[in-house]
Amino acid sequence: MDATKMRLTLKTLAMLLIALLPSATWAASFTASLDRDTLTLGESATLSLAFEGGSPSRVPTPSVSGLQFAQAGTSQNMSWINGAMSSTVTVSFSVTPQREGEFSIPALTADVGGQQLATAPLKLVVSRASAPSAAAVNSGSEVAFLKLNFPKQKVYAGESVVAQLQLFLRDDVQNFGNFQITSSPTDGFSAGKTAELQNQRRRVQVGNRVYTQIPLALPLTAVKTGELQLGPFTASAVVVLPAQNQGGDPFFRMFNQGEQKQVTLATETLNIESLPLPEQNRPANFTGAVGQFDLAASAGPTTLTVGDPITVRVQISGRGALDAVTLPEQGWQNFKTYPPTTKLETTDQFGFQGTKTFEQIISPLNNDVHEIPALTFSYFDPNNGQYHTLTQPAVPLTVKAAGATPLPQIAATKAEEKPAQDILPIKENLGALAQSKIPLVAQPAFLAAQAMPVLAFLGAFIWRKRADNLANNPRLRRQRAVAALVASGKDELKKYAAANQSDEFFATLFRLLQEQLGERLDCPATAITENVVEENSILRNAPATTRDALREQFQLCNQARYAPVRGTAELNSVAAQFEKLLGELQNLKS
Amino acid sequence: MKNWLSILLAVVCAGKILAADVAADFASANKLYAEGKFADAATAYQKILATGSQSPALFFNAGNAEFKAGHLGEAIAAYRQAELLSPRDAELRANLAFVRNQVQGATLRESSWQKWVSTLTLNEGAILTAIFFWALFALLALRQFKPTLAPKLQAATRLAVALTIFSGAILGLQAANHFNSSVAVVTASDASARSGPFDDAQNIFSARDGAELKILDRHDDWVQVANSTGKIGWLSVKQVAVLPGA
Repeated sequence: MDATKMRLTLKTLAMLLIALLPSATWAASFTASLDRDTLTLGESATLSLAFEGGSPSRVPTPSVSGLQFAQAGTSQNMSWINGAMSSTVTVSFSVTPQREGEFSIPALTADVGGQQLATAPLKLVVSRASAPSAAAVNSGSEVAFLKLNFPKQKVYAGESVVAQLQLFLRDDVQNFGNFQITSSPTDGFSAGKTAELQNQRRRVQVGNRVYTQIPLALPLTAVKTGELQLGPFTASAVVVLPAQNQGGDPFFRMFNQGEQKQVTLATETLNIESLPLPEQNRPANFTGAVGQFDLAASAGPTTLTVGDPITVRVQISGRGALDAVTLPEQGWQNFKTYPPTTKLETTDQFGFQGTKTFEQIISPLNNDVHEIPALTFSYFDPNNGQYHTLTQPAVPLTVKAAGATPLPQIAATKAEEKPAQDILPIKENLGALAQSKIPLVAQPAFLAAQAMPVLAFLGAFIWRKRADNLANNPRLRRQRAVAALVASGKDELKKYAAANQSDEFFATLFRLLQEQLGERLDCPATAITENVVEENSILRNAPATTRDALREQFQLCNQARYAPVRGTAELNSVAAQFEKLLGELQNLKS
Repeated sequence: MKNWLSILLAVVCAGKILAADVAADFASANKLYAEGKFADAATAYQKILATGSQSPALFFNAGNAEFKAGHLGEAIAAYRQAELLSPRDAELRANLAFVRNQVQGATLRESSWQKWVSTLTLNEGAILTAIFFWALFALLALRQFKPTLAPKLQAATRLAVALTIFSGAILGLQAANHFNSSVAVVTASDASARSGPFDDAQNIFSARDGAELKILDRHDDWVQVANSTGKIGWLSVKQVAVLPGA
């Protein structure tokens, strides 16, 4: 098939598809459905609006008195079935009833693909959840039920109590999940977070059946007085019961995954009497703490100057609504006070037991202050219905007048004993003017100067090491001594040559030759004679010119004993030859 | 040589003339203070300080004049600068404590270790440490020159090591406090700390004249500060006096 034919075939196929497309799309439709048509108050249903064959220009929002609608999400589904394409847009609403009754969700209309479409009306029945009767519970017909236990009939306003919600599951319930408290009316109480009491599940006999009891703690604090109603608490859960249709076949029982069942639970309503706190014997500094508490306090420093801060730490420990505990006004009129900081550390999961720590900074205003007054804290104990006042004794203080610190410049005077009424007067003497604003530690010169003692120490250290090396090396020491001797000997030679003192000249020359050769050959200087030139192995290996020069020098010295008279020029020439010879000798390897 | 001597003489003379001028201005400011013209005295002291001349007495008197003129923040700022130069001046501490007591609302207080290390100026700490440091290395060098003295110098060397380490640690704390713990003293009558370094940012907290706040950050003409209750906000530098740590 050539390219022209191929292009023609593709064009034909494309035109066929375009021609078929309109007939492949579905006619538009709009439907509404509820996932359930009966609800218990506190539960929610889902309303789904499905738009098939097109998207709505505007999604209608249902509105029914007593029902709350909240958009929960949108999904889109496209499918291709037998050459026909289907597109569905589904908008979901969460429907939450606010009262019991029978509700009708009216027909909803929407513009889908240019068509005005309407849904059918829907019905929703909402009933109030109610606790099962005692007879139903005892008969064992209830798969699960919920009970509310409140430990008291009467509470005081501000009192904290842990109520218990008990979930009972019948013994044939294989599993349960998705447990949700859907309604928790606690009017007149401040409720904390509900939590399961760990390791307290147990099996109990209720009527004809055994149930598993799961206790849930509900921390409550009464905040109103009068008759208070607690409940009904409602909850929903999914329980798994044994499947009914697998008979007694052990093979099927092995794979029995059970049947899931949604259950709605409700407790009875409890009437609790909340009593006001008694007016009688109420302490003046009572700030509303209800429970059982202990008081501890510390303060410091206790020796200070007027204006210095003192940290007062007050710890209130015990059981009750610790959140609401406040530090009462104390007799701190002679102190400047700063806002206290508080820290709450609880030791139980409900926040009812623990320690609240207040840290208050106070500062004495004058030196007449001799103590921090006794600290008091009052609370009401609901167990015995009485007020209690806790007291911490006064803390003695030694407060010095400002400016009366024991420093030599200012002597304490009688005037300083009184609280300061004004600032001290100005200074008449200007004093020394500061030269530089840059602190010494930021000045490079100061920092560099600190290197000097370190360098001095390093110099001393190196000097010491070299001195030690010299002391431990006699060869080196002799080398240096001979070098010094030769240096001074050369000067003497020049002096004797200039004075034409031939005897002294050659005696010195001989001695210098002995010392230099002795040092090089590592033998005593007195052992050096002319013969050493021939006998010593080191000199035997020396260059012939060096050996000849040595011999000549020794011979000149010997001759001088017999013919001592020589001229200055000749002596200078010998001295020059000696200096040259010295250089060669010093290069000899010993 | 003659040129060098002339320059040295000129520098000494110029210094003496300058000091004489400052002393005269200082006396004039003191006179204004004595006449009850506190605002004028405060301006006169600030004028001297603006020339770069500073002394504890100058800052002290400036603090007094600012306080009498009703400027708590300016007074505290001046006293704190005097404290940097003369931390053990009892009169200064008394006046600073007195003025701090007049400040309303939350204010930053130095911690006990900050108070303790600030009893010496940073320069005093540096000189003391340098003395111990030099003494230590002098002893070490002496031990090299005279090894026979080493046993006798052992106790002195150990003492010098201990003093050098101790004074060095104090100096380190002082330097950290001086260079890293800057303080802003509110000089406006009522300053609003904002959530960001902008005039129209949300108000986080208010600080009264004289409140001392810890500086956390700087951005252009704004400083980020924290008050004693831990609240953080931005203040314009026009509303505060920025001071180094003690």
